[in-house]
Amino acid sequence: MTTSNTTATESGQTPDVALTINGLAVNAHPGMSLVEAAWHGGVPQVTSVGCLEGVCGSCRVMLRRGKEVTVGLACQTFVEDNIEVVFMPPASAPQHHYEISDFKDGWDIHARFHKIFPEASRCRHCHGCDKACPKGITVENGVALAAAGRYREAGEAFFECVMCELCDAACPELIAPAHVGLFSRRVTAHFHLRPPNLIHRLEELRQERMETCRDEDNKK
Amino acid sequence: MSNGIPLAEALARYRADTDLAPPPALTDIDALLNAYHPDHLRDSVTKLAVGANAGDNCQRELAGLLQAEAFIDEADLAGAPVTDIDVLVIGGGGAGCAAALAAAENGARVLLATKLRLGDSNTVMAEGGIQAAIEPDDSIQRHIQDTLRGGHHLGDPALVSALAGDGPEVLHWLISQGMQFDQTPSGDLHTRRAGGMSTPRLVHCRDYTGLEMMRVLREAVIQHRSIEVWEQSPAVELLSNEVGQKCVGAVLTSLLDGQLRIVRTRSVILATGGLGRLHLNGFPTSNHLGATGDGLVLAYRIGARLCELDSFQYHPTGLAHPSHLAGKLVTEGVRAAGALLINGLGQRFIDELQPRDVVCAAILRECSEGRGVRVDDQHAGVWLDTPRLERANPGILEQQFTSLMTRTHVAGIDPRREPLLVHPTLHYQNGGAVIDVNGATTVPGLYAVGEVAGGIHGRNRLMGNALLEIISFGRRAGVAATADRDRGPKKVTLEHVNNLRRALTLAGMPMTQRAPQVLPAYAAGGIWNR
Amino acid sequence: MESLSMEMPRVGVSQVLLHPDRRVGADMARWRSSGGGAALARAIQNPAAVLAEVKQADLRGLGGSGFPAWRKWEFVAAEAPKPDKYLIVNGNEDEPGTFKDRVLLEETPHQVIEGAVVTALAIGVNRVVFYTNPDLTRSLAAMKAAIEQWQASDLLAQASTALGRPMELQLLPGSGHYIGGEETASMEWVEGRFPFPRGKPPYPAQAGVHGCPTLINNVETIANVPHIVAQGAAWFRALGIGVGTGTKLYSLSGDVLHPGVFELPMGTPLRELIYTHGGGLLSGKPLKAVFTGGPSSTLLTPVDLDVAMDFDSLRARGANLGTGAMIVISEGTGIVKRVAEYERFFAHSSCGQCNSCKVGTATMSRLLDRIDTGCGTATDLTTLKNLCTMLPGSGRCHLINGAVQLLDSAFHHFPDEFKQALH
Ligand SMILES: Cc1cc2nc3c(=O)[nH]c(=O)nc-3n(C[C@H](O)[C@H](O)[C@H](O)COP(=O)(O)OP(=O)(O)OC[C@H]3O[C@@H](n4cnc5c(N)ncnc54)[C@H](O)[C@@H]3O)c2cc1C
Ligand SMILES: Cc1cc2nc3c(=O)[nH]c(=O)nc-3n(C[C@H](O)[C@H](O)[C@H](O)COP(=O)(O)O)c2cc1C
Ligand code: SF4
Ligand code: SF4
Ligand code: SF4
Ligand code: FES
Repeated sequence: MTTSNTTATESGQTPDVALTINGLAVNAHPGMSLVEAAWHGGVPQVTSVGCLEGVCGSCRVMLRRGKEVTVGLACQTFVEDNIEVVFMPPASAPQHHYEISDFKDGWDIHARFHKIFPEASRCRHCHGCDKACPKGITVENGVALAAAGRYREAGEAFFECVMCELCDAACPELIAPAHVGLFSRRVTAHFHLRPPNLIHRLEELRQERMETCRDEDNKK
Repeated sequence: MSNGIPLAEALARYRADTDLAPPPALTDIDALLNAYHPDHLRDSVTKLAVGANAGDNCQRELAGLLQAEAFIDEADLAGAPVTDIDVLVIGGGGAGCAAALAAAENGARVLLATKLRLGDSNTVMAEGGIQAAIEPDDSIQRHIQDTLRGGHHLGDPALVSALAGDGPEVLHWLISQGMQFDQTPSGDLHTRRAGGMSTPRLVHCRDYTGLEMMRVLREAVIQHRSIEVWEQSPAVELLSNEVGQKCVGAVLTSLLDGQLRIVRTRSVILATGGLGRLHLNGFPTSNHLGATGDGLVLAYRIGARLCELDSFQYHPTGLAHPSHLAGKLVTEGVRAAGALLINGLGQRFIDELQPRDVVCAAILRECSEGRGVRVDDQHAGVWLDTPRLERANPGILEQQFTSLMTRTHVAGIDPRREPLLVHPTLHYQNGGAVIDVNGATTVPGLYAVGEVAGGIHGRNRLMGNALLEIISFGRRAGVAATADRDRGPKKVTLEHVNNLRRALTLAGMPMTQRAPQVLPAYAAGGIWNR
Repeated sequence: MESLSMEMPRVGVSQVLLHPDRRVGADMARWRSSGGGAALARAIQNPAAVLAEVKQADLRGLGGSGFPAWRKWEFVAAEAPKPDKYLIVNGNEDEPGTFKDRVLLEETPHQVIEGAVVTALAIGVNRVVFYTNPDLTRSLAAMKAAIEQWQASDLLAQASTALGRPMELQLLPGSGHYIGGEETASMEWVEGRFPFPRGKPPYPAQAGVHGCPTLINNVETIANVPHIVAQGAAWFRALGIGVGTGTKLYSLSGDVLHPGVFELPMGTPLRELIYTHGGGLLSGKPLKAVFTGGPSSTLLTPVDLDVAMDFDSLRARGANLGTGAMIVISEGTGIVKRVAEYERFFAHSSCGQCNSCKVGTATMSRLLDRIDTGCGTATDLTTLKNLCTMLPGSGRCHLINGAVQLLDSAFHHFPDEFKQALH
């Protein structure tokens, strides 16, 4: 019935998948993730690892199968015979700067976006970002939506983004799609999320505080 | 754990359509806990001999680390580059980011140093949500009561009321930073009710609340003009004044080049998170790689008081298979939705909706009494019967548990057709550094926020209070750390390390082990065997 | 870049392409009075003989590959027009250190056009595209004027008659991207899209621009054609030294006294180029290395000074002639910094279609920058080496291979420099 549960029984036996990680030959058990294999094989300096469940985006690797080289997340990729794996160095600091507290209202957000991300309107549609994304996000389309000022939809496209920034590394126009996505999500919340239940409670608490202050003043 | 029903045999016996007898009645909860819960195992607890908590109970392996030799000596610091900064935040999870942002908003120059990548944390993995009393029939008072009751009335009421009182404002702040939450059709924030809550109070962003929080805070920190971020830079020691009684900085190392760096500062905010990766009592963990309890070790060595060092939350349903997800959570929601727990003989053995510690002990009992499902010499578990749940509610797994489905899908497992093998997993550190409502520890100049701090959750944390705590207390500490602005340290020393060495020597304790651990041994280039 | 080539002295021993008589700019009368048009006249007489002559001459592709020109010509000649056939004269020239095609385009536009028209006749092409680097305004101006003169003159009409259908000449400024020089990328641009290299097959000879059979040759390759046709293959072969045939425009730059474009016999030794024609190294410093081919190739070092600079001799050494660019660096210049600069160029130029290439070059560039600025670690160096084994052959085009080859060769020749630069 279950193929996967059966491999567990066999995994106690001798390693029988041979691969290369960071230039070192490693023998691993079938079903191991690349992170497990690296540790199992004693590969030093594998510290760009975090959650081990595909949500932190730290464990970025380049991976060669035959002639094909792809990028991915090591904790979500499993060992195969003869593949070559290189853990990538940490991503560089972002090149786009803004502070959301500087945004006073939403009416000029379009102009601001293009000032902060001038490259976003220069997408050359190479699909590099889509190919790079380990989460299958339609990054290119997300960028187009953001460039068109449709931040809510753009942000929604990036819902499962785990900040690995592989799309940033893959983008020849240096658009920084991951940050475009986060910008879109952030401004959507910042300007449009106005939940009545929360606002009501905040107002109640504010009045309570004012009353306590007044009481204290009166006592004086 | 070497006995039990072999996996293949248990599988052959498993049917999703058999009629199951109800579990045997639970007669003596305390006896069950005492016999099987890891916190109660006699061998797992010892008394601390030296330091601010001398005489207190402490989990044995943790005690070893708290009473260990430091990594560095005065001599190692010769020639180390020095950085001066207003506030040093150690740890780049949710608590650290909130503290850094609050300090920066208050005019401080902030350095945030984190062990791995910024955002690589327990925060990013939180699925369930964050508590805040915002519904009309809820109140701050009820939130306080629920939290205290959940912690068996061992939480500090002042801290708990600060926490609950901050709830609505924390959400407001998170939204203004750009965090999204699920809404009802009328635009209200959607709330859920989870274990220990007397009314719905859990606000969430589908089942990716921690991810959404973390990526927004990470971006805000990266973008902030007055916050500098050093990644791959774990703190290995704090620095003290000449009498070893005030925290005035820290020593950081680099995982990339091993270079030590000294940071001199007016205040240090510890936000290093939990300790699941110490694998206490040999347990797997749901925590991220960096959760090695470093903050507790550093705080204790400089003289801070800690609390509840023998109380940890073990989550009953960590995955026991596939191996790369070992210890990773299957959210409680799956049991709440009706999934049963079944042992290797195909029988139910516990009411699945009992509190976490009870379910946990029951699973451990099954495994140790030979009714577990045996994977190999080290690994065993029981079935979480997801196929039965799916049969009863077709489509439920896809619709309500996307994150679980995505994770298992990558491993080629379909929980709709095969049961999941689960085993309790080390999940949360209930206690930690003793703090006041500003996050200040008992050592001047040192703050502790987030999972590394203690006192709020007593001996049991309610779901959703940790995410609230990290923002609420993170911000409090950020503000407070900026407020007490003196002219900066006169002298930075390792005197506190010598103090501890003296005490250890006088107590006749060996100084063979070094701490903090920084990385689990297997990640530092060793053999990976969990 | 443009002003650089203009100010540079140009000398040569066997001046064919850069013979003073031919460097007349867009002046058709002067060009014709010194023998211009003779080759076209012969080709009109007997178009079929052209291919045979070029084959005899062993004319190589001078845009970097050294691939025999006649081979590609044969493929295209064998195809029926669908409904057109294209010739792209590739003057994209955008690599660091290469600045020869612009001289031909600017100073000898008629020679280039004659070469293209003769080639077109020889293989039945009716649409000729002069694909030119858009930043070289003087080249563009000269070509524009020259093409107008051809269109107004009887020459193009005669060629059209001989071809049996109108022959069209088009001047097309490129995209400004280095990658636009790659053959299939140029076809995308001719069709009006971003110059992304295409996958092969289909090969351009079968389905290139708009699906029509397409030949693409470098400007210098095409410029040689009239001379081979006019003076014969034997004459052409005799111009070269050793196994080399014809002449080569070497672009010499870097730490030499006289940088510039030098037309020398194909197969001239490196020593002669640097010391005789280039006047030796600046300030008399010792030679450290030469980046060849516009840096997408292997390094040469002082032990290679006597190697003949033709395609085959260099290949036998594990090096490449490339475009004939020789960037000379003297003792004291940091290899790491240079390699870092060039890798940055490649990272900047990668078109983005292949993750391996874009992410790979960007990573190499960043790690090299770190090492160069004293922040690199041993792990960074290992990562670079691992990338060198992993990346070759993983891209759709050759850009990634060139980027790796350069780094690999720098590691090979100067291992200590990388180690010493570590943190
Ligand atoms: C799987 C899972 C699910 C959870 N679900 C929920 C939930 O639904 N609701 C809820 O409220 N809570 C939940 N929790 C608990 C909650 O996520 C954490 O308790 C909380 O996020 C801790 O935040 P933190 O900032 O204190 O620590 P972390 O987020 O863990 O951050 C600590 C940071 O400090 C760094 N660090 C550690 N040591 C050092 C050092 N020596 N030097 C420098 N940096 C260091 C770490 O690398 C890390 O970046 C969950 C926890 C887990 C593991
Ligand atoms: C990245 C890249 C850039 C290139 N740039 C040029 C160029 O600018 N000019 C050129 O003639 N050939 C360039 N080439 C080579 C062409 O692909 C093609 O081989 C050449 O134009 C064919 O002409 P030839 O056979 O006459 O050399 C480049 C190749 C690559 C891979
Ligand atoms: S969108 Fe970009 S940063 Fe986000 S997961 Fe995909 S590749 Fe990673
Ligand atoms: S990688 Fe950049 S340029 Fe290419 S499609 Fe994506 S956003 Fe556009
Ligand atoms: S190898 Fe590089 S330049 Fe060539 S097609 Fe691929 S990405 Fe583009
Ligand atoms: S370790 Fe977090 S995504 Fe792989």
